[in-house]
Amino acid sequence: MKEEHRLLIALQDLDIMIKEAKDTSTSKELESMGFKLTGLNELQEARKKLASKIPPALLQRYEKLAKHYRMGILPVTGDLCLGCFVKLPTSFFSAAHSHELLVCENCGRMLYIP
Amino acid sequence: MEANELVSFFEEDLCLFHLRSRKKTSALQEMVRHLALARRISDERFIMEMLKNRESLGSTGLGNGVAFPHGKSLAIKRLTVLFAKSSSGVDFDSLDGKPTRIFFLILAPSDRGAETYLSLLSNLIGIVQNQSLLKKLHDVKDFPSLIEILGGIES
Repeated sequence: MKEEHRLLIALQDLDIMIKEAKDTSTSKELESMGFKLTGLNELQEARKKLASKIPPALLQRYEKLAKHYRMGILPVTGDLCLGCFVKLPTSFFSAAHSHELLVCENCGRMLYIP
Repeated sequence: MEANELVSFFEEDLCLFHLRSRKKTSALQEMVRHLALARRISDERFIMEMLKNRESLGSTGLGNGVAFPHGKSLAIKRLTVLFAKSSSGVDFDSLDGKPTRIFFLILAPSDRGAETYLSLLSNLIGIVQNQSLLKKLHDVKDFPSLIEILGGIES
């Protein structure tokens, strides 16, 4: 896997964490368990730092997808896109050997083979 | 969550009864390395990065010698729990400032719902709030005893 793709996946993990920390219902549930969620600013800073390492065009593409869907990048499981559950064509898997980030032809999400 | 469901998340090869590290990052690294060696994760870096970010949101060391490092990542395929125990204690920035000796590391896939993950977390926290069970956990030495403690709870 290319380093920029690895960074993109780490960015998405971080985005989900930020989203959950901002989500009142999840954060209240975690706070009721005793967790203190006081470091949202630190997470935002970590996001900025991580995002700055990703090529702008790739970042922009990811952000557009993440805004539209919950997740802009997903792993391929079996021969399915885990975003829209459409079967991927055979040609997809021969292209996958190039280590390029792939795109689901149906939903447009970025896909990678773990 | 029923006790038998809770117990089903624990696996013998994901229990570390002698954690060696004394500092937060190295303790997390030791647990994550164990998960990689047990082939539960394919990329340690994703998990370490996510766990460190989660700790910067707020320490998961809740006090009474217990911590619950947790988070979601695309690098996780299914809900995974690692139990670890340190006899010397780890400086884990816990809320009461005391060393942490018991760890429940909980990792969940980010592409699925949070319900089971939060329910498991909540149930485990409920267990350590019971002083008698907490004392037993501090004394636990092997997997069968751990399962006995966790399986003995009433939901």
